[in-house]
Amino acid sequence: MSQEDPILSDDEDDKRLMALVAEGDDDALRMIVHRHHARLVGYLRGEVGSQATAEELAMEVFIRLHRAANRWRPDAKLSTYLIHIAHNLVLNEWRRRGRKPTTALEFAAEPGDQTHDSARRVTELDEAFQRAIAQLPTEQRTAILLVVQQELPYEDIAGIMGVPVSSVKTWIHRARSRLRDLLKDFYGPA
Amino acid sequence: MDHINPQPFEKDLATALSRGREIRVPGFADRVVGAVRLERRRRTVIRWSSVITGAAACVITMLVMWSPSEDSLNRQTVALVAREESNQFTDLLGLADDLSLLTPVVDKKSSIVEVLTAPGS
Repeated sequence: MSQEDPILSDDEDDKRLMALVAEGDDDALRMIVHRHHARLVGYLRGEVGSQATAEELAMEVFIRLHRAANRWRPDAKLSTYLIHIAHNLVLNEWRRRGRKPTTALEFAAEPGDQTHDSARRVTELDEAFQRAIAQLPTEQRTAILLVVQQELPYEDIAGIMGVPVSSVKTWIHRARSRLRDLLKDFYGPA
Repeated sequence: MDHINPQPFEKDLATALSRGREIRVPGFADRVVGAVRLERRRRTVIRWSSVITGAAACVITMLVMWSPSEDSLNRQTVALVAREESNQFTDLLGLADDLSLLTPVVDKKSSIVEVLTAPGS
């Protein structure tokens, strides 16, 4: 495992672990989940606004990863591949719901959501940001989450969303403008 | 509300979003492995079910293909009926034979009748 070979980077170790997962190694899968689930749940929480739904979707992402382990080719980083699967699941979730999570209520802390409550002190400004991000159009929200929260390059975001890089740049620019407009009480007019 | 300097907008945006960048869920890896094992068992059951169903379909197909056709059954039925009719006919003929053997005896006039009916009596 990774402890045995400290020279391997996370990406290289992911490839090695995926090969083991393809052979049915559950411990390798456990290590991949342990390494990637926090960012995945964070991204999904930002997208759907619900901790329970985010965990449910993250679980589905890893189940799909396990199913596709034999077919997986390490063309991209595993973390990017996981976000790609997650994004598709988010789109399906919105289609299933027939609407998008645009109310502040859905972004409020849920009962029993101790992870969010105890780990973070949500300030008034943070809540305002969360509400504003929730009001963004779908593509703008996804793009701004991936570039600012997940710190992904434009090219990766374009690959995940299946659009040209120019569209990603446009959505991010519009998202920033829209956020400044929604938060003008804090920052003044854009 | 006092306006904050526009400069920190980007910084605040990054800070607000980065707080939710990673949400570690205790025991999540075990839950995933449990779900994967459950799915693996479910797939095994489905695979064996489909194999058994396929085998059963093959057996039924072979039974159907090897069983007598409708024409064959009709021919056998006709043959049986014909044989039965033939037997009945034979029985009748046999009975007739018996009757023919008996006929002379039955038709034979008694000696008294012959005497009485003889010419010149």
